[in-house]
Amino acid sequence: MALKIINTCVNCYACEPLCPSKAIYKAEAHFLINPRKCTECDGDYDTPQCATICPIEGAILDAKGMEINPPGSLTGIPPEKMAEAMAALQAH
Amino acid sequence: MELPVLNETPAASAGGCSSHSCGSSDDQLGHLSDEIRAKVENHPCYSEDAHHYFARMHVAVAPACNIQCHYCNRKYDCSNESRPGVVSELLTPDQAVKKTMAVAATIPQMTVLGIAGPGDPLANPDRTFETFRRLSEDAPDIKLCVSTNGLALPESVEELSKHNIDHVTITINCVDPEIGAQIYPWIFWENKRIKGVEGARILIEQQQKGLEMLVAKGILVKVNSVMIPGINDKHLAEVSKIVKTKGAFLHNVMPLIAEAEHGTFFGVMGQRGPTQDELMDLQDACSGDMNMMRHCRQCRADAVGLLGEDRGDEFTLDKIEEMEIDYQSAMVKRKVIHEAIAEEMHSKRAKKDEAAAKHAEAKKLDTRPVLMAIATSGQGVINQHFGHAKEFLIYEASPNGVRFMSHRKTDLYCSGDDTCGDGESVLQRTIRALEGCEVVLCSKIGYEPWDMLEKAGIQPNGEHAMEPIEEAVMAVYEEMAAAGKLDDAEGRIRATA
Repeated sequence: MALKIINTCVNCYACEPLCPSKAIYKAEAHFLINPRKCTECDGDYDTPQCATICPIEGAILDAKGMEINPPGSLTGIPPEKMAEAMAALQAH
Repeated sequence: MELPVLNETPAASAGGCSSHSCGSSDDQLGHLSDEIRAKVENHPCYSEDAHHYFARMHVAVAPACNIQCHYCNRKYDCSNESRPGVVSELLTPDQAVKKTMAVAATIPQMTVLGIAGPGDPLANPDRTFETFRRLSEDAPDIKLCVSTNGLALPESVEELSKHNIDHVTITINCVDPEIGAQIYPWIFWENKRIKGVEGARILIEQQQKGLEMLVAKGILVKVNSVMIPGINDKHLAEVSKIVKTKGAFLHNVMPLIAEAEHGTFFGVMGQRGPTQDELMDLQDACSGDMNMMRHCRQCRADAVGLLGEDRGDEFTLDKIEEMEIDYQSAMVKRKVIHEAIAEEMHSKRAKKDEAAAKHAEAKKLDTRPVLMAIATSGQGVINQHFGHAKEFLIYEASPNGVRFMSHRKTDLYCSGDDTCGDGESVLQRTIRALEGCEVVLCSKIGYEPWDMLEKAGIQPNGEHAMEPIEEAVMAVYEEMAAAGKLDDAEGRIRATA
């Protein structure tokens, strides 16, 4: 059982000091979670702390590989609206 | 017939008027006590006057944030953009200290070091306070300031008061949690993500508590608010009143910046920013209860130099690594230069105060107000070619006198290549930025822009080159009055506040 940080992480440092297991570390491209240390905060907090402060939707996955903060859940921007705006930008 | 210069009325304490609204629309530093005035006179972010002489810099050491704002996107960084929250280079405290001392030694006019994010400095207490602690020890002649969303402020006040902290800026966009929920989708509080009204309520409580605690410690507090039409625009006058009552000394109402390509909630959802008129009207509505700041440039979180310029490129990490800094001798040089600047400012101010006192009893006109745009590269005089101006200072002349209203950038928030715009020429964009102004004062102007300005109903004027701004604005207003151009009572612009 371990969470995973993927490459959409923006290196904001918010998660690292919160981890009760000291499982999060700064790596070359972005922060990573040591799967041997990660407890998903079980026994310490109700919710995994890294995923609870992370501002980037989709950057942290649970043990099954599912996004803990799926698109739209943190910003409130409906995913289709975001896709629309980005498509318009790329077409420009 | 001469007109008084409102922005330059003497301090309330010196003028024998205890009302904060002494001088009616004096929205600069005139109302402040002598003690606070002395504290802020060499601070570029406090006064339109000081920012022409003194420089500031920001270091980005605090990337983590404990709240989400609908006008912020944590992923965003474009090197062509210049706006708050945008930063290219995250520094460690060690690098930040080195960079600060390198800049202070190279640009002796640099008086203020701020930590403003991206992220919230107080959500990064280790990085922020290590930077402050080392600078207050090694570079005691630099003022330190910090900007925060306020969530972690109450627990930080004690630590803040130990350093060389000159002032704290709190961004307060509302005092009503229902409005807050439309601005802040969530906060991180006591190890939980709290959404909606409940999150906003906690944030507001912490902000207000932090404000009161800072004021009780004698630390100056400036309040920033982002004006979001349809959400908090009607509410900000109330915010202004409350923070003033609690002891904040300056209120800076800034326009929302929201473009779809920034990927922010407001940008993507099509929330518009305020127009220049809406912003000025709100600043006027707030100024009845508060000192308003009108010269804010909404600079990048890593800007270096005088407001409106960015010399950050001269101080990238690789460049500062190579610099050898002897800060002790730099401090000696800085002191001499600061004293010379202060003397120049004092003598200019004394002249203006004298002129204002002389004009105070002048007979009042009953003409309408006029907005004028000024091309200047600083020092309070009209000294810039129209075509070189990247921003214009906007002054209002009215029967009550001359006052600084705002600045307007001609290359709004983006200095990138022209192809990313909508095909408008630079000149067309500039003319659009000057909407509402009837006159442009500059040192020189070419034939083509002259023609286009006239067609747009804006009169170019190069006759007052190198003259002090307020005197020239007054003179042009008087000419307009004498020529009968101001007789239409309706006017073509907004009425005076």
